[in-house]
Amino acid sequence: MGSYAQTQLRPVTSMQRVDTDVKLTLPARPENVSVIRHVLGAFAEALRLPDDLVEDLRLAVTEACTNVVRHAYPPEHTGPVEISILPLEEHVTVVVSDHGRGIGTSSDTTGPGLGLPLIAAIADVVDLQPVPGGGSRVAMTFSRQRRGDVA
Amino acid sequence: MTTNPEGVDAPTTVSIAAGPLVGPILRRVVGMLAARADLPLDRLDDAVLVADLIAARAPAHVLHGTVDVAFEPGPRTLSLRVGPLRPGGGDALVVDAAVPGVGNVIEQLADELRVSPEGEREYLHVRLEYAGATN
Repeated sequence: MGSYAQTQLRPVTSMQRVDTDVKLTLPARPENVSVIRHVLGAFAEALRLPDDLVEDLRLAVTEACTNVVRHAYPPEHTGPVEISILPLEEHVTVVVSDHGRGIGTSSDTTGPGLGLPLIAAIADVVDLQPVPGGGSRVAMTFSRQRRGDVA
Repeated sequence: MTTNPEGVDAPTTVSIAAGPLVGPILRRVVGMLAARADLPLDRLDDAVLVADLIAARAPAHVLHGTVDVAFEPGPRTLSLRVGPLRPGGGDALVVDAAVPGVGNVIEQLADELRVSPEGEREYLHVRLEYAGATN
């Protein structure tokens, strides 16, 4: 696991609109993380993505979605988690976003978690952005050419 | 921060570009939500079959090049709202789902099937439930 390309974890101020092949919106509940994982599985099967890429996709997207479920919304409200999947020839980009309380304002943890560092270690590029009006957006890009592939 | 009123969940929707991903993604989502709704296995199969037919036929009738489906799971019930579709697309989608020698599969399997026009667009509503749901 891990990426051979430079991994970037940085805030981006401007929203970049992309046309996505798949966009899924679900209530940010723990049980819906499994729905997202299944959708990723179907996506990977249909595009015949390599197994190690699929494992990385699943792990990173699960972490990002779990962050939304745990931290984005107060316990009495369940807002949406949105997942956009954009498959391109050279790479696959997955964007996980929410309309919750935004990055770094959660008060229900005592310290930094492992989620974002793990995502940064797995994905080739990570963009962490605030969503205008509230919320956060994590864009993860994975190269289709995996480490160890013959050029 | 955008939140919903207490007790009201965010909606469940999927939007898939018309193409080879529609079938695999839609059947997986429908299968998961039907299982979550505690539909028995035969009705879960029915729901997946309906999803496959929608995936196969809807791309010819959608308005913006994406197949959009909103889900409303309930106790032993799963409702789908397909669209926006072009005018006449709802009925055309159902007609297209007819299988020679079998008839119209969506009509036979759905407990409720209706088309709702909204201006220059329309939506197809499909509801599947388990007949023995009362308890």
